[in-house]
Amino acid sequence: MYNHRMLRPITLCRRTARKILIAGLLIFASTLITLTARQLNLGPDRPVPAFRSFGPKTASIQIYEYTDFACPACKAAYFQLEDMLKLYDGRILVNFKHYPLMSIHKWSLDAAAYSDCAGEQGKFKEYAALLFESQASWGRAEKKPPEFTVYAGKLKLDLPALETCVNKDETVKRIKLEMAEGDLKNVDATPTFFINGKRAVGAGQLLDAAKHFDNLLKTGGK
Amino acid sequence: MNEKIGLKQIAGTLSRLFLGGIFVYAGYLKAVSPAEEFAYAIEGYRIVPQWLALWTALALPWLELYLGLLLAAGLFTRFCAASLGLMLVGFEALLAQAWLRHLPVLSCGCFGANSSNSIGMEFSLNIALLLSAFISFRFGEAYSLDSAVDSGTAAQPGRDG
Repeated sequence: MYNHRMLRPITLCRRTARKILIAGLLIFASTLITLTARQLNLGPDRPVPAFRSFGPKTASIQIYEYTDFACPACKAAYFQLEDMLKLYDGRILVNFKHYPLMSIHKWSLDAAAYSDCAGEQGKFKEYAALLFESQASWGRAEKKPPEFTVYAGKLKLDLPALETCVNKDETVKRIKLEMAEGDLKNVDATPTFFINGKRAVGAGQLLDAAKHFDNLLKTGGK
Repeated sequence: MNEKIGLKQIAGTLSRLFLGGIFVYAGYLKAVSPAEEFAYAIEGYRIVPQWLALWTALALPWLELYLGLLLAAGLFTRFCAASLGLMLVGFEALLAQAWLRHLPVLSCGCFGANSSNSIGMEFSLNIALLLSAFISFRFGEAYSLDSAVDSGTAAQPGRDG
């Protein structure tokens, strides 16, 4: 009778200990799988606004570029991508994502916001080209560069609507989310490309990757 | 495990797998995405300050993932079903206050920021999930690891008193 009473709580403890052990193993395994998936970029890609996406959604070659308007290498890459879009017309998809390196480029975040708002008025590409071409003049400015509004005038954008859009929380949030997504994908330099999921950093690696585009098109991107 | 399995037990098992699977999926999607994304969705409900939204966004996806996984596996079944049920009640309260205050919630944050239904749709879906949590709580122990561990221990002579 004494043993019987003593064994019950011990049995209960054993059962609970076993369950805790199994739960611990399941939690450990699921954490490992999730962190590995995160490391391998297996998470869903945030959609890019339509005005920053060029090419058919079903293209065999899909490029995501994390870019910064004040970065000289991004300027070179931007015009290379322009050429690629012409060369592989209708067969590649290029998506631009903002990754302003704010610690070294003071006005990059503003430039990204202005370009997005120009995009909402249908002029992202034109505005982005102007920003890249003149990055040496506004990139290191001490005060807010006048170029942002000058280019808006040049492209005949609705300036009050542009300023309202730039000052909207949603505009900055969208850019910061792309930065956070870049951080999660271990983007630490610009331009960084993900070409069908494969990483390439800098215009040189983009050109290397482009050498395989014809093969990728033949194999349907695999 | 040795008891006869009835309709209720089958419903409980299916509910457990369904609810657990939904939470594993929702938690995983958010855990592999930037926490800021989910934090912005939480901020949209205008109920917690920005810093707390970020902490919540860091912790909640993992909690959903773990509780969902344990429920689907049938480990601490009643505890997990009750916890997920409580979470769902909390989500319903958040959605209801957003609806009453006419807040412009663009993404409910339920399955990450890439897709979202209307508040009304999410509210209805959560009611179905709540029902599922209740069924899992009441009848979810069949075919579970809980019952496997319990019967395994009981099967050993002399150990169960």
